[in-house]
Amino acid sequence: MSFFGFGAGPDIEITLDGEDSRKKAVVRTEGGKQEAYPLYLDGETVSGEVKMNLRKGSKYEHLGVKVELLGQIEVYYDRGNQDCFLTLHRELARPGDLLPNQIFKFEFPNVEKPYETYTGANVKLRYIIRVSISKRLSLIVKEKEFVVQTLAQYPDVNNSIKMEVGIEDCLHIEFEYNRSKYHLKDVIVGKIYFLLVRIKIKHMELAIIKRETTGTGPNTVNENETIAKFEIMDGAPVKGESIPIRVFLSGYDLTPTMRDVNKKFSVRYYLNLVLVDEEERRYFKQQEIILWRKMDRSRKTFQAELQQQYKEMQNPNIQFSSADPSEDALSAENDESNLTNTDETSPITNGKSGLESESSAAIDITDEELVNGAAALQLDDDVEG
Amino acid sequence: MPTTPQLGSPPDEQDKLLDEALGIVKMQAFQMKRCLDKGRLMDGLKHASTLLGELRTSMLSPKSYYELYMAVTDELRHLEIYLVDEFQKGRQVSDLYEMVQYAGSIVPRLYLLITVGLVYIKTKPSLSRDVLKDMVEMCRGVQHPLRGLFLRNYLLQCTRNILPDVADTEGSLESEESSTGGTVQDSIDFVLMNFAEMNKLWVRMQHQGHSRDRERREKERQDLRILVGTNLVRLSQLECIDLEKYIKTVLPSILEQVVSCRDAIAQEYLMECIIQVFPDEFHLSTLHSFLRACAELQPNVNVKNIIIALIDRLAAFTQRTKDEGGVISTDLQLFDIFSDQVALIIMSKPDIPSEDIVALQVSLINLANKCYPDKVHYVDKVLGKTTEIFNKFNLERIGQITPVGKELMKLLKIPVDNYDNVLTLLKLENYGNLLDFLDYDGRKALAMYLINNALENETQIGNPEQVDFMLGLISSLIQDQADQPAETPDPEDFAEEQSLLGRFLHLLVSEDPDEQYLILNTARRHLGAGGNKRIPFTLPPVVFAAYQLAFRYYSVKDQDDKWQKKCQKIFQFCHGTISALTKAELAELPLRLFLQGALAISRIPFENQETVAYEFMSQAFSLYEDEISDSKAQLAAITLIVATLEQIGCFGEENHDPLRTNCALAASKLLKKPDQSRAVGTCSHLFWSGKSVASGGEQIKDEKRVLDCLKKGLKIAANQCMDSMVQVQLFVELLNHYLYFKKKGNQLIEASLVNELVEKIKEELPNLENNEESQQISKHFTNTVDHVKSVASIEDHYKDIEV
Repeated sequence: MSFFGFGAGPDIEITLDGEDSRKKAVVRTEGGKQEAYPLYLDGETVSGEVKMNLRKGSKYEHLGVKVELLGQIEVYYDRGNQDCFLTLHRELARPGDLLPNQIFKFEFPNVEKPYETYTGANVKLRYIIRVSISKRLSLIVKEKEFVVQTLAQYPDVNNSIKMEVGIEDCLHIEFEYNRSKYHLKDVIVGKIYFLLVRIKIKHMELAIIKRETTGTGPNTVNENETIAKFEIMDGAPVKGESIPIRVFLSGYDLTPTMRDVNKKFSVRYYLNLVLVDEEERRYFKQQEIILWRKMDRSRKTFQAELQQQYKEMQNPNIQFSSADPSEDALSAENDESNLTNTDETSPITNGKSGLESESSAAIDITDEELVNGAAALQLDDDVEG
Repeated sequence: MPTTPQLGSPPDEQDKLLDEALGIVKMQAFQMKRCLDKGRLMDGLKHASTLLGELRTSMLSPKSYYELYMAVTDELRHLEIYLVDEFQKGRQVSDLYEMVQYAGSIVPRLYLLITVGLVYIKTKPSLSRDVLKDMVEMCRGVQHPLRGLFLRNYLLQCTRNILPDVADTEGSLESEESSTGGTVQDSIDFVLMNFAEMNKLWVRMQHQGHSRDRERREKERQDLRILVGTNLVRLSQLECIDLEKYIKTVLPSILEQVVSCRDAIAQEYLMECIIQVFPDEFHLSTLHSFLRACAELQPNVNVKNIIIALIDRLAAFTQRTKDEGGVISTDLQLFDIFSDQVALIIMSKPDIPSEDIVALQVSLINLANKCYPDKVHYVDKVLGKTTEIFNKFNLERIGQITPVGKELMKLLKIPVDNYDNVLTLLKLENYGNLLDFLDYDGRKALAMYLINNALENETQIGNPEQVDFMLGLISSLIQDQADQPAETPDPEDFAEEQSLLGRFLHLLVSEDPDEQYLILNTARRHLGAGGNKRIPFTLPPVVFAAYQLAFRYYSVKDQDDKWQKKCQKIFQFCHGTISALTKAELAELPLRLFLQGALAISRIPFENQETVAYEFMSQAFSLYEDEISDSKAQLAAITLIVATLEQIGCFGEENHDPLRTNCALAASKLLKKPDQSRAVGTCSHLFWSGKSVASGGEQIKDEKRVLDCLKKGLKIAANQCMDSMVQVQLFVELLNHYLYFKKKGNQLIEASLVNELVEKIKEELPNLENNEESQQISKHFTNTVDHVKSVASIEDHYKDIEV
C-alpha cells in the first residue's frame, strides 16, 4: 500500500478489546485452511481500538477515518453481488491530519448479530470490522474478521424420531432416534429394530448429510456433503434383532441448522440410515434433524451420561429432564414441556410419514414407483456407491 | 471393507491372507507402541484402530481368524497396560471412552471401547456396573457370527477379573452399591446377556452359506463352541452365586436360551457344559428343571449322553459324599426324579433310538447302584420300565451284536457285577423277562456270564426255588431253544460251555440234606430236558452229588431215623438218572456211574443195601453185555466191573457167586485172545481179595480158583497167541500175578511153576525184534526180577524161585 501515493501510508492496526483473553473459534477459510478468530455472541458489544502507525515526525493528510462493523453473505458464483445484512459505522476522525501513533477507540454496543459465521461450499457468511481512511483518490482499508456464534435455546418440543419403514416382504425395520433436535455436542442415541429380514444385509451405517441450498427459485443450487459415515452394524441381523445407535456429534465439523439466512441460503442436516446388502445394493432412509448451538457448560459426569445413554438406548422415546442444575437456568420452561412429552406414545415425526408409518408403507425394490412417500425405505444403487 | 462373504479361501490362500494380515498388525502395533512411548495417545489410538481394522475381514477361516485375533488382542494388551499406567499416575484422559467411539468402523470401535472400558473399570471400580452394561449392549452392533463371537469373547476375556462379585444383600444402600460398582447380579446379567448373544451368533453360523458345506460348517462350529461355553465357565467362577441365585436366575435363563435356540449342536454342547461347570450341589437341587429342559431339546440331540453325563456325575458325587461320611439329604429322591424324567424324555421323543433308551436305563441302574446300593427294587424298577418299553416297541430277539443288544447286555450285566451274587437277581422280578428279549446267542453269553460270576464268587445256590430260578435264567445252556441255530455247534465250544455248566452244578448245595435232595430233584428236572447231547455233561454231577448226599445221610444216621429210606430213595433217584443216560444210547458213562453207585451203596449199610447194589451191578453187566461191543472198551469195562466187585463186600454168596462167575465167564468170552488172557488173569483177584457176606467181610482166598484162573490165562497166552511179542508180554504180566499171589501166601502156587515161566521168558526174550515195545517188555521183566531179588533177601516167600 505504501507504494501508492506519497510516502508510506499509515499502518493500521485493529485490536479488539480483550482479544487475547477472548475465546477463539476456528473457521475454515475458502482455501481450506483453518484460522482462529475471536468469538462474539449475538447482542455482545464489539469494541476496540485502531492504532495508526506512522513514521515518527511525519503526518498524514486524509478526508476522514471511519470504522464499520459489517455482516456479509457472499455467494461464490455471484461474487459481484455481496449482501450486507448488517452495516454499522462510526466516524473516527474528520478530514485532517493523522498524527503518529494516534489511537482511536470505537464501540458498537449490544450489536444484534442474527446469523452465525459460516463457510460453506457455495456460500460464506462473515463478520468484519473495517477501518477505512479516505483520500482524495483512494481509500485505505484494513479489515479484521471475527466470528459469531448464535446460541439457541432449548427447543420447545424435542420429540424422538420413530418410524417403521420397509420394502414389502423383504425388509421391515423400525428405527428410533432419541430426539429430533440435537445440539452440536449432543449424542444421537437410538436403536433399529428388525421386524422382517429377507435380504442378506452386509452392514448398516448412519450418515450425517449436510445440504446447503443457495439461491432461490430456478436458480436454486443444492450442495450435499456427507459429513460423517458411521458404521453401526456389521453382518446380517435376523428378525427380532435390535441394534443400538450412538453417535457423538462432537467428533464432526457441524454447524447449527440454518434456514433461509437473509433469504440467501439454508443449511440443513439429515440423518441417513443406509443398509447395504451383499450385492452392494443400498437401502436408505433420510430424516432431517435440527442442529442447534448450545451454550458451553460443564458436562455431567461420565457415569451419569453413560447411564442416560444406556436408558435412552433401551427406550429412545424416554425424555429426560435434566439433572444438571446449570442447564435448568437456561431451559426451565422447556423442561416442563419435555416432561409432558414423556407420555406421548406415538411421537410426531415429520407430519406425513408419522401417519403413514402405521401402515408400514413400502416401495418396491425396483424403487421406480414410490408408494408412500417419506415412509418408504429407498433403494439406491448409485448414490454414494 | 469385507467383500467376499462367508466362504473362506482355499488353505494356501488362507496362509497368505493370514500372513499379510499379521504383517499389518505387527507394523501398526510397532507404530502404536512408538506413539505411546512418546506420549502421543491420539496417534497411538489411530494405529490401534488400523490394526483392529484387520479383524473386519471375511476372508479367513475360523482357525485363521482365531490366530489373527490372538495376535491383535495381544497387541491391545500394550494399549491397556499403557492406559492403566497413565490413569493411575493421574494423567486421566477425559472423554477417552467417548473419543474411541468416533471411529467410523464398528469392529475396531468396539474393540477399542472394550479396551478403554476395561481401563475405566480398573482405575475406578465404581463404574463397573454402568460400563459393563454399556459394553455388552453396544456389542450388538456386530451381527456377523464369526466377528461377533470373537468380539464378545474379547469382552468376556477382558472382564474376567473385574466382574463384581459382591452379594447383593437386601436393603443395601444405593451408596454402598455404587461404591462397589455393582453386585454379583450385575455380573450375572452381563454374562447371561453376552451368552445369549453369542449363542445366537453361533447358531446362526449353521444357516449361512451353501447346504453342501454343512459338514465343514458344523466342524467349524464345533471348533468355536468353547467361545460360547466360556460364558458358563465365567458364571461358575462367580463365588457369590449361591444356590438360590442359581435356581432362580442363572439356570432358568441359561436353559431358556438353550431350549429356545432350537439347534442340536448348541443344545448338546451347552447342556453338557452346564453339567460340567457348575457344582454337584447345584445340580442336585435343579434336577427337575434341568431334566425337563432335556425333554424339550431338538429331536436329533443326543439326550442320552447328556443324561448319562449328569447321572454319572451325581452318582460319583453322592458316593464320594457318602465315603466322606456326608449325608445326602434323604428327601431328595434322586432316583425317582431321574426315573420319572427319563421316562418323560423317552415319551416325548418318539424318534429316540432304542439303544439310547437302553443306555439311559443303564445309567439309571448305575445311579441306583451307586447311590442306593441297598435298594434292589430301584434296579428292578428300571428293568421293569425297560421291559415295558420293549413291549411297547414290539422288540424281540434282540441280537447281541446290535447296538440295542450291546446296551441291553450291559444293562443286564450291571446287577451281576455289582452284587457279585447271582442270588440277588432273584429279587429282580423283571430280570428274566428282560433277558428273554435277547436272541439265543445273547442269552447264552449272558448265562455263561452269570455262571462265571457264581463260580468266581463261589456263590452257593442253597434252596430249590433259587435253583429253579437260576436254572431258568440260564436255560439257554440247559435246554434246546426255539430260536437256536439249526446247525450243530462247534463241538469244542459246546463241550466247554457244558463243562462250565457242569462246574456250576456243584454250587447247588444246601446245608440241609432234605433240601439238598429237593435241589437235586429240581436240577434233575431242568437238566433232564437237555437232550442227548447235554446230559452226558450235566447229569453226572447230579449223580455224584446224590451219592455224596447219601453219605451225608449215613453220617447223620443218629439224628435222622428215616435215613435208610432216604438213602434208598436217593439211589432210586440215581438209578433213574443214570437210566436216562442209558436211554440216550450211552453205555460207558452209565456203566461207570452204576459201578460208582454200587461202590457207594456198599459203603452205606442201609436195609435194602444188597438188593440195590445187586441191581446196580446187574445194570452195569447188562450194559456191558448189550451196549459195549468194541473189544478194547469191553476189556476196560470188564476190568472195571471186576475191580468194583472186588471192592464190594455187601453181597451174600447167592449174589456174589453169579457175579463172580459171570465176570470170569465174560472174561473168557472176550474176542481177542490176549484180552482173554489178561481179563482172566485179572479175574483171579476176585477169588482172592473179593469179599462177601459169607466170608464175613474177609477175603475169600480161594486158592484153587485163583490158580485155575492163572493157569487158564497162561494157557491162552502160550497156546493161542501167535504174536511172540504179545506172548512174552502176557507171560511177564502173568508172572507178576503169580508172584503176587505167591507173596500173599497162596500155597498152590509152586516155585517150579514160576521158575518155569521165568525160564520161558528168558528164552523168548532175546528172540524178539528189537524195538520200543520189546524194550519195554524187557524192562518190565528186569524190574520184576529185581523185585524178586530184593524181596528174597529179606523175606522167604520167594525162597525157591530162581531168577
